[in-house]
Amino acid sequence: MTTDCQHSEHCRELFAKLSEYLDRELDVKTRQEIERHVETCIKCNACLETLKRTIEICRHVKNEPIPELLSERLKKMLEEAVGSV
Amino acid sequence: MTPPRKLPKKQDRDYELVQAINSGQRNLFHSLVKRYEAKLYNFGFRMCGDSRDAEDLVQETFLNVFRYLNNFRYETKFKNWLYRIASSVCIKKRRKSKYAPEKELSLEDFIPSDENAAPREIPDWASVPLDRLLDEELSGTIRDAIVDLPEKYRLVVVLRDLEGFGTEETAQILNISPSNVKVRLHRARLFLRDALKSYFNHDD
Repeated sequence: MTTDCQHSEHCRELFAKLSEYLDRELDVKTRQEIERHVETCIKCNACLETLKRTIEICRHVKNEPIPELLSERLKKMLEEAVGSV
Repeated sequence: MTPPRKLPKKQDRDYELVQAINSGQRNLFHSLVKRYEAKLYNFGFRMCGDSRDAEDLVQETFLNVFRYLNNFRYETKFKNWLYRIASSVCIKKRRKSKYAPEKELSLEDFIPSDENAAPREIPDWASVPLDRLLDEELSGTIRDAIVDLPEKYRLVVVLRDLEGFGTEETAQILNISPSNVKVRLHRARLFLRDALKSYFNHDD
């Protein structure tokens, strides 16, 4: 596994909270602590931005069209299920 | 785990349809299928990475919904209950096909040990406008990386970041604590971030 956030204990501590920070699930104090930290720590800022971009890419994964025969299969299955009730 | 609060039924867009079906209009079940077949197929495809398995998942999920809908008591939204069934189908399928214990992802795996590997600035792929990156190849890369995740992490990241459920909802669907959802989600995202880093570095 490649790594890129090697630094102080403080960095490690904040590294564990970056997802919660991006999801706005942290208390104000911790959130501000992270914001202050990434202003001066280039590596943590890069970690944060790459993680943020990863989430954005996931959120933009396109939907697959459903196979033509799936609806037919489901319809048939339901008819059988209803018939057996 | 504390039991989830009972939601007001009017907040559930499926309430009326589910009520009608449970009142005896079983023929309306096909409307429920129509409403969710594409969503569930995509959930299955993201979880299994395979069209045929995704189709089986949809079929098995709806069959279970059909059997147990009468027992649904609105402790959660219908959609969350549906995904709980679909997630259980996924987990059972895996247990049937593989006996090896699932790999754990540790935060330490993602914490840097080599100072030289640390980036000195934000890489291009994280700073250029998103629409300049999104293409079929990248979609394929992220889909493959998701399938490579151990299942318990994959379920969480798919529900949270691809299907759009919140932390609490995901916890309810998977019957785990919200803090467990957060831990798994962070590790899953770090795993995917590493996959993207490799993809973009290779691209340079």
